[in-house]
Amino acid sequence: MTAGDLVAHVARFSRALREAAVRVSVSDEVDAVDALTRVDLSDRDEVRRALSIALKISPREAAAFEALFERWWTPAAVRAREAGGAEPPKPIPVKRPGRVPERSAASRELEVERPQGDAPSWSREALLRRKSFDECGPAELAAMEALVGKLVLRLATARSRRLVPTRGRGRVDPRRSFRAAVATDGEFLRLARRARAIEEARLVVLCDTSGSMDPHVRFVLAFLLALKKAARRTELFAFNTSLVRLTPWISAGKLRPTLERLSAGVPGWSGGTRIGECLAEFAARYREEMLGPRTVVVIVSDGLDRGETELVAKAMRSIRSRARRIVWLNPLLSDPRYEPTAKGMAAALPYVDVLAPAHNLESLERLLPHLAA
Amino acid sequence: MQDAMERFGYVAEPEIATAVFLAKEMGKPLLIEGDAGVGKTEVAKVLARILDTELIRLQCYEGLDVQTALYEWDYPKQMLRVRMGEDEGRSADEIESVIYSRDYLLERPILRAITRSEPPVLLVDEVDRADDGFEAFLLEVLSDFQVTIPELGTVRADRPPFVVLTSNRTREIGDALRRRCLYLYIEHPSLEKEIRIIRARVPGASDRLAAEIGRFVQALRARQLLKTPGVSETIDWAQALVRLHREHLDAETVERTLGCILKDRHDMTDLGGETLAAMVGEAAAMG
Repeated sequence: MTAGDLVAHVARFSRALREAAVRVSVSDEVDAVDALTRVDLSDRDEVRRALSIALKISPREAAAFEALFERWWTPAAVRAREAGGAEPPKPIPVKRPGRVPERSAASRELEVERPQGDAPSWSREALLRRKSFDECGPAELAAMEALVGKLVLRLATARSRRLVPTRGRGRVDPRRSFRAAVATDGEFLRLARRARAIEEARLVVLCDTSGSMDPHVRFVLAFLLALKKAARRTELFAFNTSLVRLTPWISAGKLRPTLERLSAGVPGWSGGTRIGECLAEFAARYREEMLGPRTVVVIVSDGLDRGETELVAKAMRSIRSRARRIVWLNPLLSDPRYEPTAKGMAAALPYVDVLAPAHNLESLERLLPHLAA
Repeated sequence: MQDAMERFGYVAEPEIATAVFLAKEMGKPLLIEGDAGVGKTEVAKVLARILDTELIRLQCYEGLDVQTALYEWDYPKQMLRVRMGEDEGRSADEIESVIYSRDYLLERPILRAITRSEPPVLLVDEVDRADDGFEAFLLEVLSDFQVTIPELGTVRADRPPFVVLTSNRTREIGDALRRRCLYLYIEHPSLEKEIRIIRARVPGASDRLAAEIGRFVQALRARQLLKTPGVSETIDWAQALVRLHREHLDAETVERTLGCILKDRHDMTDLGGETLAAMVGEAAAMG
């Protein structure tokens, strides 16, 4: 295989990767070609390792990468591509067993078993039935919009440990003080100061969309969208019997269009809850990357769980150990007779820092101080 | 490369050896991710020993700013100089040119890595802990290995350092920085590799002890723990057991020394006496 063939083959392989939702940039391709010129091309394992390293394949993308590598980097495949010229081969056929060149048994297995990762289409249909947001009336939405303004202010005033120059009070910044003193023959007329930077809140919101939450969830979801606008780092998840990451389909901008998009994309909700399983799934998949010492986790659920309570406690512990605090919003709390005795709720309670109602705008507004980082 | 790394006591999988080799050959930074204690930092240390060069380490933390990473002026010394200059009746310009010279500059890790004539290994440890602003700065430094000090001018590396970045994935590293690097994800080692690591790093451990430790730790990792023990914990534990003159594992010793590998109270209470005894039994039986 000549250098030119190598470049072309890497380019086509990269395109196949991109079609399988593995992020590969042009500079990655350049790296890959560079890397391949430095390893023994007859050693297939070495080629696989070099490609994985140069294309920056993260653990989450590893399965897709392995499957495609199996197909693309067999000696036969490389030769066929060379002979066949520029015609791009079909993308990885997850569910379309079309015209595909020969494959090893191993790769066929990989494709059959390959889960579709966090592509929303996979789980959202299993999760939710169609439902409209229309009941969130214009007045409510307007109130939400107004609340957003307050959110921006309050959530954006938490201070980080990073120091930035300030004109007001703060600790002395020797570097800038000296710079100024030189101009005045070494007299310190005014000390420059630095103060702690103001930084955005980091929120991870897990919203229960099971049947028992039905009367409350639209309202809460509208609030969460507003929140997302104020604190852009907010991550949104929905769960009932499984967990769906909503963040990718929510964009900044007007509340109304986003709500409409969600109502079209997210069908309704009902059915049971398996809080334990969902929280455990969240902990296993996202704990490392999304939780940190400044992250506030918000769980919106009535805690009516049909799953195992032991699992709830364990997952909560795992999340709590890494997050700054856990806020649990329970719409049932608005009823003064309510006691948090539902099994799931009781199991989670020891790990909850703030337990609050979430039944109207006022209760949500009271919540704001707890959400700041 | 694999052999070279093993010579210095690092049992490297082909993935790790290939990544280090490519990073060295292509002159690109290497970003290493993986759970705590899988030997990410160790890669940089071994690389420095293989290349027989200096290891410069920059430990990242929340609030780390450019000054701490790059350079700082020696203020007390500058202050003295300014006062002396005044007494000697020198002009402000004269004083300025003196106190903002190399003699008054304190090099911090990144500047030090750039100004060395022999390219060192620059280890940027736990880059996920620094904030986004610092990441952007790092990206700039890693792309052209030059730094501008307003008072002195631009400092450029004659030969760029070998850069190793590590991340525990407490947050996602920005895409731009990730794309600038080669990427390696280190998993927890296999049983066979873990035993070899114990043998390499704790020569005092008998074959039997090493194998039992390996099996026990592997069994631990298979459980749902809050803090999964890494290889560094395994090594600590093996060293502790060797100090205690143990030739094999028994339930009592394991219980007493469990603090070497489990660093969370809940994990420890989860593994009650019986579970523990059973695991020790299994680890010993397979030998």
